[in-house]
Amino acid sequence: MSEICLENVSFSYGKAPILQKVSFSIEKGSFNAIIGPNGGGKTTLLKLLLGLIFPDSGTVLLQNTSPKNICQKIGYVPQVAITDPFFPITLKQVVLLGQAEKAGLFSRYPKDILEKARDLIDSLGLTEHQNNPFGALSGGLKQRTLIARALISNPEFLFLDEPTASIDQENQEKIFSLIESFKGKKTILMVTHDLEEIFKNVDKVFSCQKTVTPYSPKDVCKHFAFGLYHTPLSKND
Amino acid sequence: MLSFFSALTHNPFLQMAIFSGLLASVTSGVIGSYVVIKRISFLAGSIAHSVLSGMGICLFLQFSLNMPSIKPLYGAFVSAIGSALLIGWIHRRFSQREDSVIATIWSSGMAIGVIFISLAPASQVNLLDFLFGNILWVSKADLFWLMIVDILILSMVSIFYTRFLAICFDETQCYLRKIPTTFTYLLLLSLIALSIVLLIKVMGIILLIALLTIPPTIASLFTHRLSKMMLSATLIAMGMYICGLFIAYETNFPPGATIALVAGIAYGLALCFRKKIAVRK
Repeated sequence: MSEICLENVSFSYGKAPILQKVSFSIEKGSFNAIIGPNGGGKTTLLKLLLGLIFPDSGTVLLQNTSPKNICQKIGYVPQVAITDPFFPITLKQVVLLGQAEKAGLFSRYPKDILEKARDLIDSLGLTEHQNNPFGALSGGLKQRTLIARALISNPEFLFLDEPTASIDQENQEKIFSLIESFKGKKTILMVTHDLEEIFKNVDKVFSCQKTVTPYSPKDVCKHFAFGLYHTPLSKND
Repeated sequence: MLSFFSALTHNPFLQMAIFSGLLASVTSGVIGSYVVIKRISFLAGSIAHSVLSGMGICLFLQFSLNMPSIKPLYGAFVSAIGSALLIGWIHRRFSQREDSVIATIWSSGMAIGVIFISLAPASQVNLLDFLFGNILWVSKADLFWLMIVDILILSMVSIFYTRFLAICFDETQCYLRKIPTTFTYLLLLSLIALSIVLLIKVMGIILLIALLTIPPTIASLFTHRLSKMMLSATLIAMGMYICGLFIAYETNFPPGATIALVAGIAYGLALCFRKKIAVRK
């Protein structure tokens, strides 16, 4: 049984079709990338997998059930750019929000959650900045903080939306290396435009352009790097 | 200058005005912080203005149909909570058209209130008191209710502090953690509505947004923790209120407008001060 399974999924915003008859499956513990042009439906696909929106037709299943039923098993890392730079919150508080439902009166967290947060902050090299305002951190630190937030609940799925967007090369490598360390332990789905990392690390690539076409990393040719995406292959190819 | 401070010792109206302003500052500092960080000042303004509809209807019932037990404040509570829930629901369902709908509720709410107030006997009602506040309004009973609502709001914030913080920072994450986002958001809006009703007496409908948003905005310039922001905003609001009331007393200016002006000037000064600190660093 596949860990993630989409069957004939279609979705439109009003009359504009975004995804049409999308079918694919993803195995447990695999590391997968989603690539595609702007407007191709990558973010919509991610929202369907998170259970934030529902398909007009077809089924989206995670562990053979609707994503809404197991959303607590999903660790989600959004793009850093969508966070408010002036929001009054520290790095440590952001990480702890990954288990916000367990906070009690006056924002007190259980001891085991506080220990988990401390361990994650230490292992991701964030200790020095844990009491700094999240908005004042560099892009790389913010991204690692959001990854820590996603990991604190020990999720089985890890969904990342362009985790290296607007981040310098050195931090990009650190982040990809970190994500790759979860290969085999979690089912990873990452929206990215970084083809070099795809060649190195992922098991499968899904090209999203209204339909979704699976490729193995070696089949992702250099045309993709120029933003030129092949027309979707037919099922017989 | 000393006349204000000497009047404080023997003028009961001034004493009650001060107490009511200090009580209102607590909720404006705490709840206003959520308004600022969630960036819903426009939404809060809409709730504030639509409160006039409930007050107008109650005034009409009170005087025209001889039902003196129906106080305008009851109508204010009902219309504030009602418009908060309606706006919240529209925000969740129709986020693409949110601004237009909020503006519609803002203007329609005020229009309903003005119409019903016009139908009430003119000698009994001064519309300007509702719009700009009147410190002579505050009675001992009002102070008691202000204290009760303050305690209620502070209790709710203590219980839901982390959930409110989570929903203001990232709603998607709340959904994934199975925090009931719609309920939590509507609860926050209801607390904002209650705070607005508290501020009507001291600032009036049109100017209360100044005390609800400016002190937390100033506090946010100097702190990066929400708890400290709330405490700072409360103290700043108290300072603004007393300063504004002092100036209004000495100059005979309208108190609500004077407090709002003090708030605006304080914000400008805070921005300059913060810029100087940044340049020195």
